[in-house]
Amino acid sequence: MSGDSIVSAEGLFADTIDGPRLLGSICASCKTPYFPRSPGCHHPDCDLSKMEDASFCPRGTIWSVSIQNYPPPPPVVCDDPFQPFAVGMVDLPEGLRVLGRIATDDPDSVGPGDAVELILAPLGKDESGSEVISWQFRPV
Amino acid sequence: MRDVAILGQGLHPWGKFPEIPVTQLCRTAVEAALADAGVNWRQIEAVAAASSRFSGGKGWGLNGNDIVEDMGSTGIPVYNLSSGCSAGANAFNVGHMLVASGQHDLVLVMGGEKMPKGFVQTSGLSDVTDPEYLRQRCVGLPGPGFWAILCRQRMEQYGTTEEDLAAIAVKAHKLGAQNEYARFRNEFTMDQVLNSAMVNFPLRLYEICPVSDGAAAVVLCSPEIAEKMASKPVWVASSVVATANFDDGIPRHLACTIGPDNPHHSEAKLAVSKAMSAAGVAAADIDLIELQDNTVYYELAFPEEWGFIEPGTAEQWVAKGETMPTGKLPINPSGGFQSFGEATTAQALWQIVEVASQLRGDAGARQVPNAKIGLAQSLGLGGNATATVLRV
Repeated sequence: MSGDSIVSAEGLFADTIDGPRLLGSICASCKTPYFPRSPGCHHPDCDLSKMEDASFCPRGTIWSVSIQNYPPPPPVVCDDPFQPFAVGMVDLPEGLRVLGRIATDDPDSVGPGDAVELILAPLGKDESGSEVISWQFRPV
Repeated sequence: MRDVAILGQGLHPWGKFPEIPVTQLCRTAVEAALADAGVNWRQIEAVAAASSRFSGGKGWGLNGNDIVEDMGSTGIPVYNLSSGCSAGANAFNVGHMLVASGQHDLVLVMGGEKMPKGFVQTSGLSDVTDPEYLRQRCVGLPGPGFWAILCRQRMEQYGTTEEDLAAIAVKAHKLGAQNEYARFRNEFTMDQVLNSAMVNFPLRLYEICPVSDGAAAVVLCSPEIAEKMASKPVWVASSVVATANFDDGIPRHLACTIGPDNPHHSEAKLAVSKAMSAAGVAAADIDLIELQDNTVYYELAFPEEWGFIEPGTAEQWVAKGETMPTGKLPINPSGGFQSFGEATTAQALWQIVEVASQLRGDAGARQVPNAKIGLAQSLGLGGNATATVLRV
């Protein structure tokens, strides 16, 4: 049905009373962070996998970024008509490097080292006309 | 363990062949390899084949079985190896072990592929729990975007320019134009590359390899057979398979931990360093490298990550012509993936065939003068990599 909003995937992010957060895990034994949630620790030096739910910081720094200059095929969701968009790898202070759409109308204006904040916003509409909400990073 | 030699090799040219079945591409390569080796099909004692998820293989990646059926079923063992774009060299690694261990004296290694249209896509896109689906659905990052993000970081770190990137494509096509097995046989000017469509900034269409169809085959043999039958045997100095380290800083799904070092493809570095160590060679001993240039970026990053040249200097090496066949560090004299395109399961084996051709002195206009030792490297989805050192 047209006009609905859906999430890009269940259980990966949430709008909390403190604002948007990415939902992941931390191994209480070796302190390795994971996104998305992981049922087990993958660190090869960790013998005691003790996973706890964690939510990750709303702010980070762009490690690097590119521009999607051509319309990619599904299941990628983007504007119609297509507008080039920025995609980056963002470093979070918890020690995670996370992929994410960079929320900007001017993809040329963002670059490595830029500070960003986590937002939950639509990527575009899917095949059935529903808005697909996902985590994105907005320059601050 | 005993020495292993390449007794024969064959290729089907790379291209797009919608009317030709993949088994026919493979048969062309296998027949050429058998003829080059001077043996017949019934003498082959085992097959190690790269498994494709795109074509043939009975829908299950049993591509080696297709080859055996096509050439004539003789009851020999078949090993089907899967590791994405490095599968051809994984098969080579297993074929090498089968001969080195003494289990077999004559083994066929094979990779053939017909690729779907468009840029190479990851699997799992119909499964909402698959990490590759999540990456596309939640973020939107097809393969070229991933490479572009790494490349953009290099621009930030070392000041790499768009002209530096284009110069590598120009160089690749200059060599590919001289290679009868390459798909693209025309040269490009700097202007043509810089005016090609921007795919993912900073990477343009002519700086990213497309997908192709192709097939490659190699016959491996024992030292006794090599000494009896080969006029100039090419010896396998080492064949290594590696996977990635946990914290190399390259997010292969939605995220990764930030490791202690600069992000790099640890699987490729591990494979290359282990292969050179096993072969007992140093960077200065290597006369040519065939490396996996899905984009021009890797031709800059890999030689630095592997310690062949100082970090941040690769652009100068290219600009001075030092990566051409007559330079100090010949890279991809074949024309590379830029000229061939990616036929996933065949390409790592084609790289080995190119290095062997160079060492035999059969590379014609793109010949590296007096080449004695060569390195072939591949990189596959999932943190797979291989490295093979050949010598004469």
